[in-house]
Amino acid sequence: MNPAVDILIDSDGRLVFIDETGTRHENVRPARMFPLTDPEGWISLQSPSGEEVGFIENAKTLTRVQQVALSDAFAKRDFVPVVRSIDRISRASDGHLWHVTTDRGPTIFRIETDESIQQLGANRLVIIDDHNTRYLIPDIDKLDVESRRRLERYY
Amino acid sequence: MSFSAWNLAEIDEMELEEMGATASIHLIQEGVQSHAWRITTGRVREADAFLGRFKDQHRSARSDLKLDPEVLRPEGEDEEIVEGESEVKGFMAGPMVRLFAFAKPWHRLMVLGFLLTLASTATSLIAPWLTMALVDNVLIPLQSATEEVHVNQVYKFMAQLAGAGVLTWVLNWARTFVVARLAERVTSRMRRETFEHLQRLSLTYFNRKRTGDLISRIGSDTDHISLFLSVNFIEFICDVLQCVFLAVILFWINPLLAVAAMGPAPLVGWLVSKVRGHLRGGFAAASRAWSAMNSVLSDTIPGVRVVKAFAQEQREIERFRATDKHIFDTNDRVNRMWSFFTPMIELLTDVGLLVVWAAGAWSVAHHHITVGVLTGFVLYIQKLYGRVESMSKFVAAAQRASASAHRVFEILDVKPDMPVNQGMRKVGRLRGEIDFKGVKFRHGSRQVIKGIDLKIAPGEMIGLVGPSGAGKTTLVNLACRFFDVSEGSIWVDGLDLRELDVEDYRKNLGLVLQEPYLFYGTIAENIAYGKPKATKGEIIAAARAARAHDFIMRTVDGYDSMVGERGHQLSGGERQRISIARALLIDPAILILDEATSSVDTETEREIQAALDYLVKGRTTIAIAHRLGTLRRANRLIVMEDGRIVETGTHDQLLNQSGTYARLHEAMMEVTSQ
Repeated sequence: MNPAVDILIDSDGRLVFIDETGTRHENVRPARMFPLTDPEGWISLQSPSGEEVGFIENAKTLTRVQQVALSDAFAKRDFVPVVRSIDRISRASDGHLWHVTTDRGPTIFRIETDESIQQLGANRLVIIDDHNTRYLIPDIDKLDVESRRRLERYY
Repeated sequence: MSFSAWNLAEIDEMELEEMGATASIHLIQEGVQSHAWRITTGRVREADAFLGRFKDQHRSARSDLKLDPEVLRPEGEDEEIVEGESEVKGFMAGPMVRLFAFAKPWHRLMVLGFLLTLASTATSLIAPWLTMALVDNVLIPLQSATEEVHVNQVYKFMAQLAGAGVLTWVLNWARTFVVARLAERVTSRMRRETFEHLQRLSLTYFNRKRTGDLISRIGSDTDHISLFLSVNFIEFICDVLQCVFLAVILFWINPLLAVAAMGPAPLVGWLVSKVRGHLRGGFAAASRAWSAMNSVLSDTIPGVRVVKAFAQEQREIERFRATDKHIFDTNDRVNRMWSFFTPMIELLTDVGLLVVWAAGAWSVAHHHITVGVLTGFVLYIQKLYGRVESMSKFVAAAQRASASAHRVFEILDVKPDMPVNQGMRKVGRLRGEIDFKGVKFRHGSRQVIKGIDLKIAPGEMIGLVGPSGAGKTTLVNLACRFFDVSEGSIWVDGLDLRELDVEDYRKNLGLVLQEPYLFYGTIAENIAYGKPKATKGEIIAAARAARAHDFIMRTVDGYDSMVGERGHQLSGGERQRISIARALLIDPAILILDEATSSVDTETEREIQAALDYLVKGRTTIAIAHRLGTLRRANRLIVMEDGRIVETGTHDQLLNQSGTYARLHEAMMEVTSQ
């Protein structure tokens, strides 16, 4: 990353981006271009009006401080729990209740149709619940046997 | 009806094509359709019967004349045709034989399956044999108390019977697994080859076929075949083997009883031969009926917005009901035959059993055989009759599979009208010079392009304009080599297009259509469709250039967002910009824009036009547009009418000519001002 470019948090807790020309963009909003398949790479930085003011190809190239600033900004808006195990799937009157353990703790969500489970690439799945919250299974093969067996009945 | 008044030798074939609520019978003579009759689906059964009679007489007429099928093959046919030779051979050899040819690569598995079948069948016959000895040597002496029987003998028989049972179970298990795997492999190969073959066929074929019918052939028909191979066929082999073994055992036990038991066999054979033909026709009709239903579904479900917008739900319900009734009728016809046939076989075997009991009782009474032998005989004969009944069910399964295999082979027998790539000239990156020399194109009996001479320089942008039906899209289809020219030639960079490897050539083409087709998947996958190994950076760069990046970033998952089936979760303008990004990513030397901005509003058109302006830079571009303003960057405008070029020049030159272009322009201005 260009050394002139900087990412920081201002005194009001807002994300600030300084581009290669030295222009200071305040209150920028980070957005992952590939939030499900490459969450660490290709991050768009947008102005409050939604205009892209810059982008980061690989967050790992940022300094530790910049990475923290960015991840704090993401934590405020992004919520895509990663499913660690599927503990139970039960039938409900309008769909199925999934009892899962995620990286954000155990939870239960409802999905309405098979179309709510979408494949991304070979082994990656995204499950969209009835509140439009997305749950990610990064690699089906890495789930335990019981979870895979439960998943198999619905996908 | 007799076809004696027809000159059958001159007819290639007659085929039935169902199209939703109606169907057509096409008569093909000398490679072209000479006649067509339209009917409603309610008359399809009669049409089937009519076609059946025609095919019988047609076949015999051709074999009488000893015609070489090669002679009958049309020359210069511009559409895919079912190869006459394959068709005749296919009929003679039968679809079933061709089906088994698909198993050739797994011949070891086949041999193993056969050996396991042989072994499991043989072991299943041990139990009745042991029963004979059990009755005569243990049970009767025990009951009559005439001689002392040691209890160990009972245990010995029990252990032997249990051992035979376990052995049969293990062998059956292994056999079922081996055969099921073989069947899956065969049908998987069949599905793959059929789909791969479909990919090689030109647009002409797909224009003539219904999507639902093709889906049905690759889906349900191959499934019927899989079921037949994994269950019915192997059961039949077991049945045949058991019948042979049983017949030998029965004759060995008592020839007189065996002859009595075989009494119903000729009648069963006669019944099977009578019913077979009817069942095959019935199953073929049922498969077609399912195809018709799939076609209605593949029509109505994607078009549900139009159905609702025009409040035509009831009409579609009626249309579905009609196809459903057709399925019911065809299945009902098969069931009528079937419901009579199976119980009739059972009745005949019951009569056979009655005869065996009568003859057996007489033999026991006259001390020709023991009770044990009669018991064993009855057990064997019940097994034999069970096998005969099971074999009779095979008739239906075989006919269904045969009809399905025939429908799959119909696709495989279609000869691609575009030459296969092998041995064709490989090309890399082209400069993009295109030269149409005296190009003519005939679609069926209609001359669509009537002689085009046009040279396009590398990097030049030409605009094709003209009224609907002028042949503009056909001309770009010829440039894409979706079809081959009927006369004349197209040269690209000084090479005859027909000599080029089609795949290599098309890697130089970028296509942006009026209705951009997006596949089910993410936005990134759709942009990278023509270059699956594109990096994320390349995908983003293409999207930026196509002015798609901003709206993509407004979606929840950015480039990972699913676009839904056919991209329906995006607006028309968004879909179009993704298709432009898709074209940009492959960096084509030749760009085809077919009404790329026709179906969007003015604001979106401006956005798309900006993306297109970037896209056309440095590429040979052929753009078709009704909105003449979108061709403002074109170096030349080519005006087509009735398959010919009628005017050429710039916008101003053409307006001054006061010809077709001026007329079109005036009409457009009138519409715009209203």
